[in-house]
Amino acid sequence: MSAAATHPFQTQPSAARRSESAIFWLFRGATYFVLLCGAVVFLNIFVKGSRTVFQTKAPFVNTAFFTESPESLYVFQWQGQKMELGDKEFRAFKEKNPAAANVKAESYVYCAGGIFPCIVGTVLLVVGSMTIALTLGVSAAVYLNEYARDGTFIRFVRLAILNLAGVPSIVFGLFGFGMFVIFFGWNVSLLAGWFTLAFMVLPVVITASEESLKAVPKGFREGSLALGATKWQTIYKNVVPYALPGILTSSILGIARVAGETAPIMFTAAYVVRDKLPWQVDHFSDFFFQGVMALPYHIYVVSSKIPQNEYTERVQYGTAFVFLLIVALIATASIVLRSKLRNRYKW
Amino acid sequence: MASSAPADDTHFIAYKGSFRLFGLTLDDCIRVFFGGNAVVSIIVLALITYFLFREGSGFFGQNRDNLTVYRHAGLEYVDFIRTQQDDHAALTRYLSDLRVRQFNFYTKDKGLSLAAANAALVGFDDFAGQYGDSVEPIRTLVSDLTEQTTAIKERFTVMEDKKVERTQLLAVGKEAEAAAVRIVPIDFVAELKPILGTLPAYREASADFAKRLTAVLAEAPAMPASELQTRMDRFQQLNAEYMAGFPAVTRNLETWDFNKPVPVTQAFSSFLFGRQWLTASFWQDWYGVIPLVVGSVMVSLVALIIAVPLGVGSAIYINQIATPLEQKFIKPCIEFISAIPSVVLGFFGIAVLGQALRALSQVAWLSWVPGFPYSERLNILTAGCLLALIAVPTIFTLAEDALNNVPRAFKEASFALGATRLQTIIRIIVPASLSGIISAVLLGLGRVIGETMVVLLCAGNRIAIPDFTAGLAVITQPVHTMTGIIAQEMGEVVHGSIHYRALFVVGMLLFFLSLAINYAAQRIVRRYRISIG
Repeated sequence: MSAAATHPFQTQPSAARRSESAIFWLFRGATYFVLLCGAVVFLNIFVKGSRTVFQTKAPFVNTAFFTESPESLYVFQWQGQKMELGDKEFRAFKEKNPAAANVKAESYVYCAGGIFPCIVGTVLLVVGSMTIALTLGVSAAVYLNEYARDGTFIRFVRLAILNLAGVPSIVFGLFGFGMFVIFFGWNVSLLAGWFTLAFMVLPVVITASEESLKAVPKGFREGSLALGATKWQTIYKNVVPYALPGILTSSILGIARVAGETAPIMFTAAYVVRDKLPWQVDHFSDFFFQGVMALPYHIYVVSSKIPQNEYTERVQYGTAFVFLLIVALIATASIVLRSKLRNRYKW
Repeated sequence: MASSAPADDTHFIAYKGSFRLFGLTLDDCIRVFFGGNAVVSIIVLALITYFLFREGSGFFGQNRDNLTVYRHAGLEYVDFIRTQQDDHAALTRYLSDLRVRQFNFYTKDKGLSLAAANAALVGFDDFAGQYGDSVEPIRTLVSDLTEQTTAIKERFTVMEDKKVERTQLLAVGKEAEAAAVRIVPIDFVAELKPILGTLPAYREASADFAKRLTAVLAEAPAMPASELQTRMDRFQQLNAEYMAGFPAVTRNLETWDFNKPVPVTQAFSSFLFGRQWLTASFWQDWYGVIPLVVGSVMVSLVALIIAVPLGVGSAIYINQIATPLEQKFIKPCIEFISAIPSVVLGFFGIAVLGQALRALSQVAWLSWVPGFPYSERLNILTAGCLLALIAVPTIFTLAEDALNNVPRAFKEASFALGATRLQTIIRIIVPASLSGIISAVLLGLGRVIGETMVVLLCAGNRIAIPDFTAGLAVITQPVHTMTGIIAQEMGEVVHGSIHYRALFVVGMLLFFLSLAINYAAQRIVRRYRISIG
């Protein structure tokens, strides 16, 4: 900024100088306004969501919310007291108190119990799709960076990658539905969701991997080749190991994207509600052909299909909180790891 | 490559192992494997195109059949008359709007009590009532015809279903059952005879209607204020135009021919330029994409108007003005914002922002803002604000990159010539990186137009073209978008139905739109990049 030394000849700042600093303040205001908006969203969800997720009693964390399946919530008056019971508890309560058989209860779907199946589903979707995306993406990046020379073909590949990155996620959803669900007949299944998400995140992984591979100095490859190693040995022993940390950390952003997308899994992998957990299948092969519940889709369902009130707000904010926390952790990990990595490898 | 170059001279070969597959060495195989993976992105792009076409291409044929039935069953004929009735209804709404204005005039400007204001409006109410009733002859005719034509269409649909049933039975080899399915082809000429026979009745009803209308309009009450009188005069004028259109309706009905084939182009044009997206209606389904496109464009426009100054401004700030400490802190924070999943933002819009904006609009001293106050919680504005938050990180990151690529020498030369920092930024740095900034904005647009969850949750989901006569206030109306409609209706449609295919065609449109935006962004960067010497 302006070096403001006080001396007797100092004049008043000129009009130009003053308008300059006013305009700089405008830019500064724009920047901090963006940060403020982000902070408002975060804080709103963290504050309201923490009421569901944390509690004042012993374990301090609402374990039921993390370990149970969603249930309906029943609210009713009983002997002058307001009762809030989940589906199972309500049935047990009715059996214990036969007089309560006809009690008038208001019910709210999904508002009791927890979100365990959604967390499991999201983890499964992320792990599967990232495995596919990393395999395809890293290999493609190795080819582009190590083998390929500039030419029409490579230009096409790069153009395809760039364009793939701009395709809207809902179009990936339609594509996955048309190809995996209908044409391959996989129905709404984990496998269909994996491939759809993997293709969607592929450009991110390829770009990130290529950048990490480029950062490995040429001398590493030349030294290895000079010692008589084949191309593959060079790549396998001398290039990829040094690029791998970079590839993984940059790909974490891809994970955040995969975990956060709703549109592609809406018709390919996600169920509104499912009683069985993913591992409760008859055959091993059925595992891949089952739909799952997923956190983002659950948020969509609870925020659009049920009305807003004090009972539904709990599950809405709780789910959003958990989801945002997971995504935020992933994103923070990526940012922190990247800055650490930048300091560690220097050649 | 390097290892295969000395292959001619066997003495120097140091192959490890002699693995061969189709004459390829291990290294070649590995190379092919990696190359294959690189092609995946091309394949995926091709597959997306193929499957969107595969599922969607049948739409236009089906749409043509749809339109043909619309004509054959006489629905089109009835719609000519119905339009006349609907226009009258629109004029009636104009009249009720006028009543509200008069009422406000009496209660606010004149200070009359509610009862007194109502008493003063008795004459007007009488007039409005008579005006509303004048359409009665047309209305009776339309409701009769509606029943008849719907019945024809219904019978036709049943026959079509039976045809399908028979083919299905034949396909599984149940010939006897297939033969038992009785198909009576619909004789449209005979069916339409009674409907076409109503033409004289229509002429009579229309003349009667015109006569009543003129009589009613002649007795229009005088307005208490000149501003209101102008509106009344406008109303008279609109009515004169409306009645001048009656002969055209009659002519349409006279020349209407149910056998006129529906041109192929109409199947396309009714989709691309159709102003109605109406599904699962008892009368006629329309698949016109215009309301959805307009919705998407409006929402994106609002988002960009908010996001471009913020995104570009903060990019300039971070790149040129901020201290290193600020840079180190703010950049990851904005990246963090881009990691917020869109569904969470959508939920935030439903739970907080919608209400907050509505409450803000109802603050008294903000009532000068166009469209304020409004009552619909979820509308273009709500969705636009949230989409802006999605677009800002994209625009910020790319614009910052572009600013970063401006050579240092530019800046130094400018300073050396005595320019201030502001002059340097505005006259040198921004113009030098303008191509990058524009492509950043375009990519932000691509991001916003393809965004699904926020618009699905927050745009209000009313499938209609917003009322542009409201001026800027249009942004407080709910809309539906291309992405939203796919997400909302895909789960409910019957596989293979025309509605299902229509959604795929919307997806196709979206796909090509995003490709075009992407292409434009790349083109601009390449074409206008300042050569960095």
